[in-house]
Amino acid sequence: MTAPLVLPAPAHRTRQAAGRTRTQVLLYAFVCLAVFVIPLLIDSDFLLNKIARYIVLGMLAMSLALSWGYAGILNLGQAMSFGLGSYAMAMALKLKTVPVHTGPEGLPDFMVWNNVPSLPWFWEPFHSLGFAIAAGIIVPVCAAAALGWFMFRGRVTGVYVAIITLAAMVVVNLVIIDQQRFTGGFNGITDLAQLKLFDITFDAYGRSTYYLVACCLTASLFLALAVTKTKAGLIIQAIRDHENRVRYFGYDVAAYKIFAFSLSAAIAGLAGMLYTVVMEFASPTFLGVPLSLSVVVWCAVGGRQSLVGAFLGAVLVAGMQGALSESKTFLETWTLVMGGLFVIVVLFLPKGLAGIAELLSVRIARLRQRRNATVAEPKPTEVGP
Amino acid sequence: MTAHLQLSDVSVSFNGFVAVNALNLAVGKGELRCLIGPNGAGKTTALDLICGKIKPTAGSITLRNTELTALEEHQIARAGVGRKFQVPSVFKELTVRENLQVAYSKRTGVFANVMRSCRGEETDGLDMLAQLVGLENALDKPAAYLSHGQTQWLEIGMLVAQDTELILMDEPTAGMTAQETLKTADLFNRLKGKHTLLVVEHDMGFVKAIGDVISVMHQGRLLAEGTAAEVERNEEVRRAYLGSGGITGA
Repeated sequence: MTAPLVLPAPAHRTRQAAGRTRTQVLLYAFVCLAVFVIPLLIDSDFLLNKIARYIVLGMLAMSLALSWGYAGILNLGQAMSFGLGSYAMAMALKLKTVPVHTGPEGLPDFMVWNNVPSLPWFWEPFHSLGFAIAAGIIVPVCAAAALGWFMFRGRVTGVYVAIITLAAMVVVNLVIIDQQRFTGGFNGITDLAQLKLFDITFDAYGRSTYYLVACCLTASLFLALAVTKTKAGLIIQAIRDHENRVRYFGYDVAAYKIFAFSLSAAIAGLAGMLYTVVMEFASPTFLGVPLSLSVVVWCAVGGRQSLVGAFLGAVLVAGMQGALSESKTFLETWTLVMGGLFVIVVLFLPKGLAGIAELLSVRIARLRQRRNATVAEPKPTEVGP
Repeated sequence: MTAHLQLSDVSVSFNGFVAVNALNLAVGKGELRCLIGPNGAGKTTALDLICGKIKPTAGSITLRNTELTALEEHQIARAGVGRKFQVPSVFKELTVRENLQVAYSKRTGVFANVMRSCRGEETDGLDMLAQLVGLENALDKPAAYLSHGQTQWLEIGMLVAQDTELILMDEPTAGMTAQETLKTADLFNRLKGKHTLLVVEHDMGFVKAIGDVISVMHQGRLLAEGTAAEVERNEEVRRAYLGSGGITGA
């Protein structure tokens, strides 16, 4: 990216950390701005909807980068939070759908088919959209906090965390499929009303939905970035680096990990809600293993230690997946192409695409430093690589 | 004088192997105590027991009359125990400045720290601290790029930033040049009084330069205690060190 070039030279003492933060903020702002500009260049509602979908998936990848890249918690069940958020939104929109598709007293159609006499108690509060939106974030957060409490208080680390999170997601997935009477089972929840918020109707194929997604992306991207810049964010990175050492400085490691894990779940839940709005349905595949593992791949490709990198990685790879699987030439082989790409990235770019950007910015910074070199750091031995 | 740190009849065994056996140790406030002994004497284990890395099977450990054995590691640290490990343990992916910021842990709660930016009021203090440990030119370098000696210094600096009442040092001068060792001795002499220090060391020159009272451990027990001269004269200590060239060669 060209962002580092925009940086004004610091007045006196070079504060690399402050400079890096400024570069990052500029880069993030640039990406968000680009997201907002896209609709001005695109005429097709269908394409816009597809891009909105990729952006939501990018948010999901970004949420995983927060827990995996920053806190070192590899959550293979990140789609669990995503799916819970998605179902919360779908339940509310299902209850608002036009009466033609519903049973008596607005009973959802699949409940009629499954001989459910009346709306179950846990569906009742979803008549309120405000409740649904709150639930779409609070339920995933509580689920993550509870799971995190057991794992991190019990000092479960590494691959076991990956296994437990994956298993937890599969359990939720199976319960949803199994409880067809209440959840729509395999079919998910379809035939939804359009989201109406503050007198704006969010048609999945309209610009309003796209801008809603873009706003949520900007907010969550900057929220996550801000958290990583706080002292807590620093401690979380220290935990990723050397968990046991952090304890001896008086920090409760489990509390910090639960915090990172839950914050990541909150963003994933928000993304899930948006996904329902964009896709116009909720399905058990939203918290399925294939999606959840894809998120890990997107993160790895984009660069898990960079929030915006993970976002771009997801948009890029998911976009390519879409394009390849629809093209005639790659109809049969597109998974092979994707697999090859993943192997190449993992082998040659361990930090993902963000690694390239980082390398470039370091080079540029070094060049600028050498040009401005006066008294700072006389290092005669420094030779270029 | 009531002891600042008190170990009473502390024992720990691993699968039947008794690493520390009814250890009694009392360190006064502001004292710099050196802990020496042959390999396998249980010195590092004793430090592990104090900082909570290992839980004792019997006995009690108190700091300022606070029982430490019931607390978790982070609670022990909050109670006022800082620890430097034998293998320098710093955050390699973080810069030197970030390492010091993490170590500066006046506030430890998650939500207190979410509200705080990293560039707080302590920055200037940490810059001075970096100067003290000779890392002022490496502040923005990742700790992974430091030499072994510098890493040792960084961890010592982190303990100063943590500013605990009791500081446990496990072989702080390992891998340092003679000059660096001298500088470390100087720093330790400045720290004592304000902090209570317990230092495990093999370098007898260093021990003599800093230690008022030396405790000698052997086979998980306290063998002798006294000034350097007294300890060197002690018949039992000589016997324990036999085969490794006497106490100065240990």
